[in-house]
Parts: sequence; structure tokens; C-alpha cells
Amino acid sequence: MTILDIHQVSLSFGGLKALQNVNLKIGQGTTHALIGPNGAGKSTLLNVLTGMLKPDDGSVMFDGKPLLDVNSFDINQLGIAKVFQTPAIFPEMTVLQNVTIPVFAARDGSFRMNMLEGFSKQRPLIEFAEEQICELGLEKHMHSIAGSLSRGDKRRLEMAICLANKPRLLLLDEPTAGMARHETEKTIELLQGMKDGITKVIVEHDMNVVFSLAEKISVLAQGQIIAEGSPDEIKGHPKVIEAYLGEAQV
Amino acid sequence: MHNQQSFWQLNKAVVLFALVALTMPLWFPLINGYSGLDTKIMIFCIFLVGFDILLGFTGYLSFGHAAFFGIAAYSTGLMLKNFSDNIIPAIIVAVIAATLVAIVIGLLTLKRTGIYFSILTLAFAEMFHSMAMAMLQTWTGGENGLTGMPTPMLFDIKMQGSAVFYFTAIMAIILFYVAKRIERSPVGLMMKAIKCNQTRLEYTGINARKYKLLAFVISAMYAAVAGALMVVYEPFVGHEFLGWHQSGEVVIMSVIGGVGTLVGPMIGAAFMLYFENVLSVDLGEQWLLVLGLIFMFVVIFMPGGFMEAVDRIKKRFITTADSE
Repeated sequence: MTILDIHQVSLSFGGLKALQNVNLKIGQGTTHALIGPNGAGKSTLLNVLTGMLKPDDGSVMFDGKPLLDVNSFDINQLGIAKVFQTPAIFPEMTVLQNVTIPVFAARDGSFRMNMLEGFSKQRPLIEFAEEQICELGLEKHMHSIAGSLSRGDKRRLEMAICLANKPRLLLLDEPTAGMARHETEKTIELLQGMKDGITKVIVEHDMNVVFSLAEKISVLAQGQIIAEGSPDEIKGHPKVIEAYLGEAQV
Repeated sequence: MHNQQSFWQLNKAVVLFALVALTMPLWFPLINGYSGLDTKIMIFCIFLVGFDILLGFTGYLSFGHAAFFGIAAYSTGLMLKNFSDNIIPAIIVAVIAATLVAIVIGLLTLKRTGIYFSILTLAFAEMFHSMAMAMLQTWTGGENGLTGMPTPMLFDIKMQGSAVFYFTAIMAIILFYVAKRIERSPVGLMMKAIKCNQTRLEYTGINARKYKLLAFVISAMYAAVAGALMVVYEPFVGHEFLGWHQSGEVVIMSVIGGVGTLVGPMIGAAFMLYFENVLSVDLGEQWLLVLGLIFMFVVIFMPGGFMEAVDRIKKRFITTADSE
């Protein structure tokens, strides 16, 4: 079953065609990688999916509902969460506060005026946030200020924020960028061990990460999808070798 | 967060503030504070706590909060003069009037951030100031201010002297308690998250704009209560209530005390008013220069205001105690 249907999406920045008639269907519960050389349009496509950019043409349907012209927070409330290229957290808050925010968002929606809510009502939610933090191995840092964490831990915290939202679709924009090898391995394990049912779309340059995680790969070059298939099909695809993988000799 | 915290831990700041506030008439004269100044300090504590909900929580610096203070003061004055000498309906009408104006200004200004937001709020406040001076002078008294109000009453109680002080102090305690409750509610968390990372907040499913507007309106309501009480304290409303000087003073009080701490801005208000009205007598004409130097010292060496100094002292004590 298709959860995300991108149909004929085009987007230009002045004379630059960032996306050209992109068509993509993502199956529910699958892990789909978007690869391609720098400037291919991968991050632009993710930004269209999260409402940050509005395409000139085309449509995007998530679980049968149109996504275009919907606010970022409403897109998130529909069940789409995004892990940014640079970890996007709340740096001056504690790790627990960081994860409590999406837990409240999942309960209260995008806005609720519960200004005088007592702690007893918050307690079960805070306990859930604590569980999420423990699941991602950040329990030692529960009350640490998020900005003081290492890059790898910040990335895991960001994933905890996204998962606490209980998303159905998780968009990951270069989740291992700037990480040391052991941190990358940990992130792969983390993504592999994620609960079933969460559909993942990964934009990634590290082919080790892509081939470890993806069930299906789409290759973008100059704003167009030039190839699509399983990891094995992509490895041997001549257009892909020419456009991207040739440089890496995979 | 606060899993294991007891009632005392959650409310000690409110209890301590209540103790300090309610005993003020006993100890304030000992440091040369005069009767009436204590009431003014309580009024500004309300103004500053509300202002901190906007600046301290969300990071949005308004240079136009005098608008809400002044609108409420004029509304209270007009209510007392023309309808009833009872302060309760006057305060309610004043807060409603300021709230409605705050919703409109908030919707228009919160589309912008940083300096643009600050300038827009300043522009709105100046607009109200010039309206009070010219277009609406029949009601506001223009340059001369609004006078001729009867002695305000709280039902059968004449609002004079200590009655005004205790009424104001109780209002300040209640509103400080409300602000602390907001701070530890989900709403308070969202407001603080706006200051930390608004983009992430929106991508976490939160409508940041609505929370910003809520913070703006709540802080305007606090300013309105303060403005209304100012008329109960002194039955006069001057055009300077709406002026940029009034808005600027609130910002300075917040910075000196410690933005984002709720308690700090109240300390800043008390310090500034005490300095302006008591210490200035000893310092003569140079008091503004000394105040300027203190402000510079705080901004350069203690950007967290007096509350940063308190934290540093606390940490030093804890470290010393641990090493012993």
C-alpha cells in the first residue's frame, strides 16, 4: 500500500530547475533511500514534503490526503516527522524537556490553552518521554542541557524528538552526516531496530548506510529521477554509475 | 523536569515573594523607603512578571508595552470618573480593552521577529501616545493628563494608604503564582521552545504563532492590570504612561533583574524604583549616571542580571560546602 504519492512535482529557483516532474511512490512500512550527487534535488524534495517549499507544479498525497498548502505543523500532526541535516533540537533545554514537547504535541495537537495544567496530568506523558530517551540510550543525559551533548547524541536526541511524535513517515536528511564511523554504525542499528510500521525516507551520501537500510532506492540527478529499484539493481545501473556511483566506485 | 518536587519546591518562590511583599510596610521604612513607593514597586512587579512571559519565555522584545499599561490606565480613569468609583468593574474593563488591542497588535506584529518586531511594537505604542495627545484629548486630557477621578473604592473600602498597598500586593502575589503555573505548564514549555528553536517547534507539530500570540496577550493583560492599579494608587493618568520611556524602563528593569527568571525582573523593578526615588536623593543629580554605569556593568559582566549573581553565589556556597 502506498503511503506517500509524489506526482509530477516540479520546482524552480529562478532559472534553476531543482525538481523536474518527479514521480515517486513510497510503500507503507518500507525504507526508501533517495541518493544522488550534490545539487540533485534530494533535500529540496524533502523540504517540499515538509511544507518548507511549495512546488510550482504537481501534487503530493500522504495517506490519501493532499500535503501541499498545508502548514509544517499540520503536516507533522498528520504523521510526518523530519530529522534535519544539522541536528535540530532545543539546545537550551534539558534532554527530557526536548522530548516532552513532541509528547505534548501528540496529545494536545498544534495548540491547546492548558496554561494551568497540574503536574499530575503531565506525569504519564513525562514518563513516556523518559522511556523514549532510554530507548535511544540517552538516559545518562536525561537532565543535561541538550546543547552540551556530542553530535551523535544530539542526532539521537533529534530522533527521540521525532519518534515521540509517533510518526507514520520519518524523513531523514543525511542522518549520519559528520558522524564518526562508530556513531554511524550505532545510527544504522538504531534505524534498523526502529518499530515496524514507520515508513522511512532517507537522503544519504554514505552508501554503506544506504545499502544497509534501504529496501528501495531512487536516484535523483539534476532534479529528475533517473533510476529506481532494489539496492542490487541500483548498484549495477549504468545511468547511476555514470551520474553518481561512478565517483565512489561502488 | 519536576517529577519528585514537593509543593514547597514548586511554590517556594511564590511563598517567599508573598512573605517579602506582605511584610514590606514593616521593613521598607527601615531602608528609607516611604509609604507609597512600596505600592508602586508592587505595581511594577506585576508589569515586569507579565513582560517576562513575553521576553523571557519567547524571546520577543516588545518596545511597546506602555501601550497596554497606558490604555488600561486611561480606561480605569474614565470608568472611575464617569461610571462607578468601584475599582473592580474599572479594572475588568481596562483589562478587556487592553486585551483586545493586544490581540490586534499581536496579530500584526508577530509576523516579524527580532528588531522588526521591536520597532513595530514601538510604532504602535507611539501611535497610541499621539492619539492620546491629540485626537482623543477630550477624553484623555491631552498634555495635562486625565484628572478629577473620585477616591477609588473597593466596594465599601476607601482605596487609600495601606488598603491600596495590600490590594496591590495580593494582586501581585496571585499574578506571580499564575505566571509560575504557566511556566511549568505545557504552554510554558512551548513558549520557551519558541526562544530555543522555532523551526524545530513547528516541525514538532506545534503552531508557534498561536503560542506567541498567547504570550503577547497574557503579558499585555499583566501590563493592563498594572496600568489600572497605577490609577488606583494615584488618581491621575499622564500621557507619559503611553510613552516610549515607559516601555524602555520596563526593558531595563528586566535586563538588570534577569530575563526569563520571573523573579529577576521583579527585583530589577524594585531596584530601579528604589534607586530612582530613594538613593537618588543621596547621589544628587549624578544618580542617572550611576544608574547607567550599573546597567553597563550588569550587561557586560552579568548578562543574566542580578539572578546570575544569585546563582553564582549559590554555586560558590555549594562548592565550598562540598569541598568541606
